[in-house]
Amino acid sequence: MTTISELHEDAALVVTGPPQWAGELELREAPGPEATLLMMDRQGGAIAFSGKVEYGQGIRSGFSLAIADELDLPLDSVRLILGDTDLVPWDRGTVGSVSTMTVGIQLRRAAATARGALVTLAAEHWAVDEASLATSEGHVFISGEPSRRVSYAELLQGKDLRLPIPEDTTTKRAEDFVFMGKDAPRTDALDRVTGQAKYSQDIVVDGMLHGKVLRAPSYGARPQQIDTAGAERVPGFVMLVRDGDFVGVVCEREDAAEQAVDAIRVRWQEEQNLPSDSDFPAALKEKAKEMIVLREEGSPAEGFAQADHVLEGSYFVPHVANVPMETSTAVASWDGGNLTVWSGDRAPFVVRDELAQALDMSQDQIRVIAPEVGGSFGTKGTVGVAQEAAVLAKAAGRPVRVAHSRSEEFMWGTVRPAALFEIRSGFNADGQIVAWEYTAYHTGDRPQRGQRGADTPYNTPNVRISVADSASPLRTGSYRSLGCAANHFAREIHIDEIAATLNMDPVELRLMNLTHPRLSRVLRQTADRFDWESRRNDSSVGIGVAIGYDAGSFVAECVEVAVRRRNLRVQRVVAGIDCGLVVNPEGVRNQMEGSIVMGMGTALREIVEFDSGRLLNPALSRYRVPRINDTPEIEIVMSGDSTTPSTGAGEPGIVPIAAAIGNAVYAATKTRIRDLPIVPRLG
Amino acid sequence: MELLVNGKSYEVDVDEETTLLAVLRHDLGLTGTKYGCGDGDCGACTVLIDGEAKNSCITPLDSAVGCEITTIEGLAKGGDLHPVQEAFVEHTAFQCAFCTPGFIMSTVALLSRNPQPDDRQIRAALTGNICRCGTYVRILQAAKAAAERLAQKGGE
Ligand code: FES
Ligand code: FES
Repeated sequence: MTTISELHEDAALVVTGPPQWAGELELREAPGPEATLLMMDRQGGAIAFSGKVEYGQGIRSGFSLAIADELDLPLDSVRLILGDTDLVPWDRGTVGSVSTMTVGIQLRRAAATARGALVTLAAEHWAVDEASLATSEGHVFISGEPSRRVSYAELLQGKDLRLPIPEDTTTKRAEDFVFMGKDAPRTDALDRVTGQAKYSQDIVVDGMLHGKVLRAPSYGARPQQIDTAGAERVPGFVMLVRDGDFVGVVCEREDAAEQAVDAIRVRWQEEQNLPSDSDFPAALKEKAKEMIVLREEGSPAEGFAQADHVLEGSYFVPHVANVPMETSTAVASWDGGNLTVWSGDRAPFVVRDELAQALDMSQDQIRVIAPEVGGSFGTKGTVGVAQEAAVLAKAAGRPVRVAHSRSEEFMWGTVRPAALFEIRSGFNADGQIVAWEYTAYHTGDRPQRGQRGADTPYNTPNVRISVADSASPLRTGSYRSLGCAANHFAREIHIDEIAATLNMDPVELRLMNLTHPRLSRVLRQTADRFDWESRRNDSSVGIGVAIGYDAGSFVAECVEVAVRRRNLRVQRVVAGIDCGLVVNPEGVRNQMEGSIVMGMGTALREIVEFDSGRLLNPALSRYRVPRINDTPEIEIVMSGDSTTPSTGAGEPGIVPIAAAIGNAVYAATKTRIRDLPIVPRLG
Repeated sequence: MELLVNGKSYEVDVDEETTLLAVLRHDLGLTGTKYGCGDGDCGACTVLIDGEAKNSCITPLDSAVGCEITTIEGLAKGGDLHPVQEAFVEHTAFQCAFCTPGFIMSTVALLSRNPQPDDRQIRAALTGNICRCGTYVRILQAAKAAAERLAQKGGE
């Protein structure tokens, strides 16, 4: 394992600064403590450091391209170290799309700082003015005389520079990019297609054993009597660790550990009176906690009194699972009092800090390394398997790996909260919405999840938006866009109901009530590309539209479905996004397509079923995520302009899709969809 | 037991009911083949057994003995990527890429028995593989591009 001092030994130039820079974006948190952001070695190569992790969003590639551009280096001279708490600047985790942007911008500034220093060195070297110099492919040259050049490696010989990023550092303009803004294969593609990329699941360290933890059959169940004799007879059994309700086995092989834990005989005491999925949505309101008013403007009561029409509806989304293809996995290895953990987590510093607290250690005794992460979407923010591996490894005196099986991942990973929405709208005969009352109940205990995207983007004078948390027996947590997609589902279905009530075109009704120029533009462009006007007349299919906002970006989606009884096919999706300046168009398209497919799952079939605290469908054969034969034709429209700062592209695509599909199903069948998932409600 | 993997013969000393996936990953250190479910539901563990795509997580070792097994690590020949691998790179047919080895192996198997599949046949052949990042649009494009590339190569 590389240490930070080894890296420093070989460094001729080190750029330091806080890991985030807000630029024109708003930063909702401190930029983070000063740290090493970039180094150049004596061979002229660059190493950049970030606490973000790669879980599929192409961050390694994106950051590498940005650094190569700012530093004028060949791409293969740029190395990126991600998510290793001993090496990289502190980071709260790869969670918001915006925080990724602020880190990316700061790395560009770090690279620009290094480039500036190299130009200064070259100016001294030739005793010329800096303004007469330019850089390209790892060299500084005299402008107009490309043959008079000196390599970065040469300039850095014998140097030992430490440079903080100057406040006035300027980065390149879009027209000067060599790598950014173009469609390019991911820089990590080769490792991915040859099976060489190492995920947490693939980490093997010398002497490593395999641990498995005894899991309760239902939430809140506690073991009463435990007979471990069977486990000890399994070939390859090494030891059993018991501490209160925690029981773990350690074996030579993973399959042996599974057998051993299965051979433990337990009498469980299960919790009584836990709700089942069939108790929802009623349970959401019954168990509601404090109602928080997010926005109140005008007088909804007066608005309703004056409106030509008043419409009420309630909407429901069930708990859905993240289902990353790689299950949560960690390897823990002790060296005296120091602990190293490889954990496929999107927040290695959070894992480190939670481990320190749980194990009563100081943070600097723990190193957490995030290898490649096989999908996250919001889950894997927990310390679970990492702590279990650490406890078992300590007991065994050897490194131990703990990996969730698929059913453990379903049960002990996190799910997106279920939510209930009650909407009351008042509108005039011409389509103008004059009053809007929105009340949402999301399970879970983090209000910001359910609040995200709850506010209406439509321009309505009398508004009241309120959101309450509610209880769930499941482990609720983050999910792509948090509660934003759920809130959008309810609102955008209701908007469609308004259009239907007035017999108005749903695109027109939306445009009429929107004053946000970027949202209107993305809707117009998307509907045009979809050919909305003429598709409306095709009676063999249903078409639907929905819009939304998330992570600073704006989206609109038009879909076409064909419905034959319970057979619902989403045939075509046109999705528009305005995420400002697009640094990596291929990456934006890829993320949008992925969000749409993921959102289709929640729209069509996904639901976590449970009864009395037990999961009923913790398997991929019974929890139906989208497969390739569900995949529609997807076209992405980018409607942003390059003078607007870049905003998130990984989450917004999921926000309107379920409502767009629901609205298309209505157009095709006149069945109004107010609850998800849709397929079980058809025919 | 003797196992033939990627043209190499290995002697493994494990219980014969051990899954092929466990042997590949644990005993042979071939971690390119992934565990996604262990139930045959996701295709992350797909390998070729005598040219056919199989879920190694539900294949007992003894049933693979005497067969030629190919994993993702054995696909590139002498440093040259297989055309299916090339197509996946060109179309960025992945995000986290955890599913990628499985999809590539399933596509290789499809193209070897049906070099010119249509859209429906590709979907049918790959429906046992799950990509939770939802990169199916690209996977379809990559599979089509790989078929074209193989056809060109064959014609040369
Ligand atoms: S791991 Fe074999 S099919 Fe999922
Ligand atoms: S790319 Fe992540 S599961 Fe397919």
